Amino acid sequence: MTALVPPAVSEPSRTTRGGSDPRRAHHRRLTPAVLFLAPSAIILGVFVIWPILQSLYFSLFDWTIGADSQKWVGAGNYIALTQDPRFWSALGTTLIFTSVTVVVVVTMGFLTALGLLQDHLLTRLFRSVYFFPTVVSLVSIGLVWKFLLDPSIGFVGGILKFFGAEPIAWLQSTQLALPAVIFVAIWKNIGFAMVIFVAGLKAVPAERYEAAHLDGATDRQVTWYVTLPSIRPTMLFATLILTIQSFQVFDLVYVMTGGGPLFVTDTLVNELYREGFVNFRTGYASAISWVLFAIIMIISALQLRLFRYNDVD
Amino acid sequence: MKIRSSLAIGAIAVAAALTLSGCSGGSSNTSSGPVNLTVWTGFTGGDRPGYTKIVKDFNESHPKIHVTMNVQPWDTIAQKLPSAWLTGQGPDIAAPSFDPGVIAQYVKTNSVLPLTNTGSGSTQINVDKLAPGTVKEFTYNGKLYAIPANFATLSLYYNKKAFAAAGIAAAPTTVAEFAEDAKKLTIDQGQTQYGLAVADNQTIQMWPILQWLKGGDIVNSKNCSVLDTAKGQESLKYWSDMVVKDKIAPVGLTGAEADSLFSAGKAAMEMNGPWAASGFKSAGIDLGIAPIPVATDGSKVTLGSTAPLAISAKTKHPTEAQEFLAYWSSKDAQRAFSLSTGFPPLRTDLADDPKLIADPTVSVFASQVGDARLYLPGVPSSTQVDANGYVPLIGQITRGDDVATATAAASKTIDALTGCTP
Repeated sequence: MTALVPPAVSEPSRTTRGGSDPRRAHHRRLTPAVLFLAPSAIILGVFVIWPILQSLYFSLFDWTIGADSQKWVGAGNYIALTQDPRFWSALGTTLIFTSVTVVVVVTMGFLTALGLLQDHLLTRLFRSVYFFPTVVSLVSIGLVWKFLLDPSIGFVGGILKFFGAEPIAWLQSTQLALPAVIFVAIWKNIGFAMVIFVAGLKAVPAERYEAAHLDGATDRQVTWYVTLPSIRPTMLFATLILTIQSFQVFDLVYVMTGGGPLFVTDTLVNELYREGFVNFRTGYASAISWVLFAIIMIISALQLRLFRYNDVD
Repeated sequence: MKIRSSLAIGAIAVAAALTLSGCSGGSSNTSSGPVNLTVWTGFTGGDRPGYTKIVKDFNESHPKIHVTMNVQPWDTIAQKLPSAWLTGQGPDIAAPSFDPGVIAQYVKTNSVLPLTNTGSGSTQINVDKLAPGTVKEFTYNGKLYAIPANFATLSLYYNKKAFAAAGIAAAPTTVAEFAEDAKKLTIDQGQTQYGLAVADNQTIQMWPILQWLKGGDIVNSKNCSVLDTAKGQESLKYWSDMVVKDKIAPVGLTGAEADSLFSAGKAAMEMNGPWAASGFKSAGIDLGIAPIPVATDGSKVTLGSTAPLAISAKTKHPTEAQEFLAYWSSKDAQRAFSLSTGFPPLRTDLADDPKLIADPTVSVFASQVGDARLYLPGVPSSTQVDANGYVPLIGQITRGDDVATATAAASKTIDALTGCTP
């Protein structure tokens, strides 16, 4: 303990020797910062930012991987998108998928969190059970549910049959395939929302509840006027993350239905994948990704505004 | 500080460079050791041991070349291969897809090597002995870009136990019998058992066979759709009516689902290739394999399927890679492959091979080689014709949509894709 290094604050005496000191001090502070940031900045730059910019460039061409020359089309891909019925139907499906999933997951996640807020053995157990699907990959979940929902050899069909009902071809039906996929997405995400809400609810100061109860507020009023406003940042976080995730849904749909039957579960990313990797139309696929990017940006901005993120407590 | 920071920046740069160069795989060789070749294929099915054996036998008989085969799902190959080959990072040899039409894309991007080591020698690719349809399919502008990795025909698998229970003595031999049996084998509107498991998506197409049996077709020689002609509509309606009204088959099955259904004993018949046999047998099905029934006009027809095996244009070892392809398609390798997998031989000079004729599985599939037709052979944008035209059409009519309306719409889509000029 005797060999303690003097703290950095004792340094200023030196700076008087070095001429234009503030700049140098600034430089000295900056260099290690840059060095610490550099590894992740390089990785991000090379593997994320550069490909993103490159895809914007591709989207202006009729780009085919490896072709001798790429034909410049300017906004051609974007114009073609507006005339592509499959794009509009994929956009519609994505919007339905996102709005239903986010609303249900946030509501159910909040209610589940309220119900499981107290710390008992049983509530802890239930929280783990609800959270479990979140840690499993979407591909595994998709495969398991696809098998469960199979009308001929699946578990769900077996149960229906046991009770004398006819098994339903969930994923082969044009009416039921999308609801079935949405159900699985909700089932997977409720645990995630619940955990976030439990954390948010626990952070609300007890005094607020006390004060409200002293003022004679009912339980419903407490939830509406105290709990909900207090967890606004949590609500924003959950909604934003889930919205972005839902807009980008791919694995679940790809594994469960491949976008079928008759394209009713075809989402934007599914369409992007098909154009880019099956039909090799890289330019067109890049244009789809930029439209998706723009939509997510706009909706995220609207959500931030809606939850008035800036004047949050 | 300055020296230190430039050292640190240098270290980061080196680390980054190492990270980046770590991505580069491909084949590397020392000057003294054998030439290493890598092969990517998607043969994950019951036929996989057959391909593994070709590689093993090749390595044993060619000490100067060592081939490593990497088997991964077709989807994965389709995602990785185009960019891997363009950047020179990919394997020396690959089967890019189970869809032969895909090779056109790789030719367009100059990713595949034209095969030059052809001729009649034992270390050459014996092009004139390969199934002629396949050679034509892989030839562009007079150059051969791939050999068939296999050549399969689809046969009729049937569950003997289900047939006996329905009082049917033998596999159907005519379309009328086929349809009648399918209805008879459908129990409880399919709730207990379907007559036929027929997949319509994510698979090698089975529906064209049904169409051909009734005299219909998909496109004509000018690549124009003939789905909406009288014959085309009639051939589709005949079968879709049986699916919609008689429930002989479930709707919207993928290839894997159709196989599961048959394996579970919940469907009595399925048209499929030789790769499915081992899975059905191990599922405990009392399996019968018969040729596809004879068409209404008395002709014999089935679907032929072939996967291309091509060499990267950027391989460092084109000679050795072509030697491997020559071995793969050689008489001995193909005889052994057929015997182990049940596939018909892809060489015409093995048609009369006594060992293959004596094999009960190979003989059924081989007997139909002469009658086999490829799916959309040489049709421009065939992958899209399938995905945007044919698959949705079958999906619609098996769900009860009007055949005339659906075929008209599909024809419009297909004609636009193929650039048909009637």
